[in-house]
Amino acid sequence: MTIEERIYDQLRLVIDPELNINVVDLGLIYEVDVTENNYVMITMTLTTPGCPLHDSITSGVKYAVSNLEGVTDVDVILVWEPAWSPDKMTPEGMKLLGR
Amino acid sequence: MMLQQASNETNIKLPVSFVIYSLVAFVASQLIILFAGSQMIDGVFRTPAIWSAAHLIILGWALMVAMGSMYQLVPVAFLTPIWNERFGFFQFWISAIGVTTFAISLWFFPKLMIYTGMLAVVGILLFVFQMFMTMRKQAKKNILTLFVGSALFCLFLTISLGLLLAINLGAGISGLNHLAILKSHILLGITGWFTLLIFGFSYKMVPMFSLAHGFSMKLSKWVYSLYMLGLGLTFLSFFMESRGLLQAGLTVLFMAFGIFVYHILTILKSRLKKKLDRPFFFSLCAIGFGAIIHGAGMVLSFFPTYYTAFGLLIYLYLFCWVVFSIIGYLYKIVPFLWWTHRYSKLIGKQNVPTLKEMMNEELSLPIFYGLGIGVICITLASIFSQLVLFYISQTIILGATILFTYVIFDVLRK
Repeated sequence: MTIEERIYDQLRLVIDPELNINVVDLGLIYEVDVTENNYVMITMTLTTPGCPLHDSITSGVKYAVSNLEGVTDVDVILVWEPAWSPDKMTPEGMKLLGR
Repeated sequence: MMLQQASNETNIKLPVSFVIYSLVAFVASQLIILFAGSQMIDGVFRTPAIWSAAHLIILGWALMVAMGSMYQLVPVAFLTPIWNERFGFFQFWISAIGVTTFAISLWFFPKLMIYTGMLAVVGILLFVFQMFMTMRKQAKKNILTLFVGSALFCLFLTISLGLLLAINLGAGISGLNHLAILKSHILLGITGWFTLLIFGFSYKMVPMFSLAHGFSMKLSKWVYSLYMLGLGLTFLSFFMESRGLLQAGLTVLFMAFGIFVYHILTILKSRLKKKLDRPFFFSLCAIGFGAIIHGAGMVLSFFPTYYTAFGLLIYLYLFCWVVFSIIGYLYKIVPFLWWTHRYSKLIGKQNVPTLKEMMNEELSLPIFYGLGIGVICITLASIFSQLVLFYISQTIILGATILFTYVIFDVLRK
């Protein structure tokens, strides 16, 4: 298993408490960059800029990945562009929404 | 890429203080109404007990809960932190003491009304100032800013007119059209402040809770412009004593509300979340009730013989539109507040409950049916002057109010 795959597995533990769907299936994770010394930079978004769970989800993402063995440091960059859209969701995420 | 800005979260104690106070005021107001049954049935609304209950429900419950909700929602919806939290706590205490003593003095110590009323007014003014200072920092203003800003302006006008009424009652101001000011005070307080505020936050919360995407916000400008025009025309009609203007004003208000309903429906059509949460569904029902009552107000304006029925319409508007909307949204706001306080640091570390699991959703049904049936029966009891039916229905409403209070306090134990 590559480190990227392990990071995505960890990210699946971070659940949006309003929708009860993890951030990967919700399509919130845009990019995961891992440098040679295992410094991780995660670029992500939220479903809406005024999301009340803003801080909780980003700190959850940071903590979940920091816990991974071998990871030296994690930075989470929250972006609003490109804006989140439903087509970024996985089929599993869509299913959980009853679609 | 557009990067995020710093954390905007508010100290949870601030909104929670307002919510707890408001629940106590809600139960107290319903108790008073229960004991003022005969006056309600006789249509004698301008009595000390009913004044006290009316101000407890409007200021103590709806306004305090709206202020608490705004302390939580404004930072997240406008991406702007509250200007000064310590000032917020100070404002809470001034408002709480002011509203409580004002409600008591309205009933038992009318001579003190001017002082206690002043204290309540100061509390509300401090809130308006706090929000003004917060919203002016918002980097990118939008239609929500306009709705919420205008609602705050209406609140400011409402309390200014209320103060004028209190001074006139106490000392008397020559040449003052007391009735026109009283009507404007009610119009701006209920339709101006509450409706514009609920419109504004609905535009944020409906898409958020239904996960709607790709909808247009163009209609919101029409809703805003027409509603403001309707308010202006109705306001003018009171001072010019023009029935034509009143009819025009209420018609335009109904049109604006109708467009709002249509707009919300189009937003819901674009939602991803197929099954909506039950309490949120009740907030949506409240929108339907609001439209019906606006329609009834418009129709009533063409039948001057029945103008006394406006009192009943105001009661229904307060309950079926304002109170139902607030209760529905509180089912979302309170669990979120407590969840953030208890679990936000644990997300990603261990299993945390979902927001839905924080609140007993099953109990939402008896609460809403209790309030709904109670309000319908009170309407019938008022129309047919049935005192026994009034007592039974008001007891049902009181029971539903106590149950709702229990549900909210139960969240705070999780």
